[in-house]
Amino acid sequence: MSRHDLLAADAVAPAEAKPAKARRRLRTTWSLRIGVVVLALYIAVALLSLVWTPYDPLTPGVGDGYDAPSWAFLLGTDRLGSDMLSRLMMGARYDLGIALTAVAIASIVGTTLGTIAGYHGGVVDTVALRTVEIFQAFPGLLFAMLVVQAVGAGLLNVILVLSFVGIPDYLRLARAEIHAKKSWQYAEAARMVGNPPWRVAFRHLLPNSVGPVLAFTSINAAFAALITASLGFLGLGLPPNTPEWGNMIARGQDGVMTGQWWVSFFPGLAILGLTGAFYLMGDALADLTDPRRRR
Amino acid sequence: MTPLGRMILRRLLWVFPVAFGVVTLTFFMARVFNGDPTELYAPPEATDALRAQIRARLGLADPLPVQYLHYLTDLLRFDLGTSFTTGQSVASDLWDRLPATLELGLVGLTLGITVGIPIGVIAAVYRERWPDFLLRGVTLSGMALPQFWIGLVLIWIFFVSLGWFPGPVGRLPIGVALPPKVTGFLLIDTLIAGKPALWWLTLRQLALPAITLGFSSAAPIARVTRAAMVEAMQSDYIRTAVAMGHGNRIVWFRYSLRNALLPVVTLIGGVAGHIFAGAVLLESIFAWPGLGQYALQAIERSDFAALQGFVIYASLLYVLAFLAVDLLYMVIDPRMRTP
Repeated sequence: MSRHDLLAADAVAPAEAKPAKARRRLRTTWSLRIGVVVLALYIAVALLSLVWTPYDPLTPGVGDGYDAPSWAFLLGTDRLGSDMLSRLMMGARYDLGIALTAVAIASIVGTTLGTIAGYHGGVVDTVALRTVEIFQAFPGLLFAMLVVQAVGAGLLNVILVLSFVGIPDYLRLARAEIHAKKSWQYAEAARMVGNPPWRVAFRHLLPNSVGPVLAFTSINAAFAALITASLGFLGLGLPPNTPEWGNMIARGQDGVMTGQWWVSFFPGLAILGLTGAFYLMGDALADLTDPRRRR
Repeated sequence: MTPLGRMILRRLLWVFPVAFGVVTLTFFMARVFNGDPTELYAPPEATDALRAQIRARLGLADPLPVQYLHYLTDLLRFDLGTSFTTGQSVASDLWDRLPATLELGLVGLTLGITVGIPIGVIAAVYRERWPDFLLRGVTLSGMALPQFWIGLVLIWIFFVSLGWFPGPVGRLPIGVALPPKVTGFLLIDTLIAGKPALWWLTLRQLALPAITLGFSSAAPIARVTRAAMVEAMQSDYIRTAVAMGHGNRIVWFRYSLRNALLPVVTLIGGVAGHIFAGAVLLESIFAWPGLGQYALQAIERSDFAALQGFVIYASLLYVLAFLAVDLLYMVIDPRMRTP
């Protein structure tokens, strides 16, 4: 923006622009706050479920089958008479744990590979990008279904598949960031004083790209949680009685047809809270770290 | 050849390496992980000789590289192989199921666009005020909720509780005969057959899955529209347009929206790719006989050829969707017409 533009903008709308900026700042921090608080709540519930739940989540028959929500069973019981609230609480361990672990693995591996590809350039870069393109033409959920169906159910398998599905996105993101920054002057300066390439890439360039990667990590966590639930809903992924939320929704599917809505309904709300928190945090982080969006 | 034609041709040719890579990946992944699906298709009391016979019939008797070469040479003749489950050629299976997915997808996507874009515009116009907060809450939940859950809740409300819409039994109520197939789109075929009552039944069956699809695609469309609109509305040319005394509607829809459309179109391309690749879970909830269900069944039954066929179709669709996006760019943004 030229000096002239700046002056003109000041002259036309000084009173309008400032409160808008302040409000935007405020909103960003608010959505970040809400996201963090909700996520902390989920973590707290997941930890609490290790030591206390109202009933044993895995035992059927603590109530009759399909008890409607009442004071004894706040969220009702499912077809087998297991307490819904207890199962939901324990489910937080699965859905939250899977999403966080998978995203941690995907972001580390993907960012590392992307940094190498972006900094190295040339053949390495081309091969990485083409490979990624092929994987991205493959629908994510389908890929996860195929692999999990093939290698079998299990917590570790689900986590590994989900992290694998996430890697291409991080690779592309980190690659684009590093590729753009490697010819900047501070990179040149870092090279000039004798830093080896890996050091320039990982110590000097990568930390400057943490913002966008972090923002994407949050969005990616929401996506991972949704795929976890989808796999659970299909009965792939985890053993049948696991109180994973998607699994629970599937168990309540018959009840929905006969009026016992609560079995499928509440796990959906639990997913909404978790993925919603991730999205809010991701949005806020993107706003804070992207100077173009910050103005 | 014009530069535009060359660009289209290059993008279309790009389908081949992508499809090749995806097929190779699927081929080996399915076989290496899943082992031998003969068990699924042999009767339990089958003798070893019968098993060997079945294995040969499924084309699984040869060593892997030979199977792969066979598959590729067939592929060059546009032969996608034979489905283990249906016993028909995969190409004709896909072709039979395509209209169901396309019909649901087109109606759902149309709903998503016609609802999502105005919501985004309204949210941008009222940004940081209560209509914005309300709409952003709704769109956030549209993104954060699993599609299958939205579908189930709609079934619970509108079928089980209120009885306004029919149950999730597919494209037509059970026992109702399909109209003669012309296009495969039931909403069109019923009209060609001259049966308005049947058309109405079809529409009612379509309503709940289409609304589910519409809601979950409207959400990201609205969010991206809002973000792009906010950016456009802060620009100098909009300030000028306002200063020149243009009415709100012209400023919002003709100037701001048009300039905000690029990211929206990109997103819609991605969403369309997703939708037409078959909303797997949605189709399974509504017993919709489309491609998503076919893929799910292929995975469950280790139906290799069917799975590979579907994956080729899906990757083709992605490439085409993004080609369409690039072409649309040129319609929207005149600067892109001169490369």
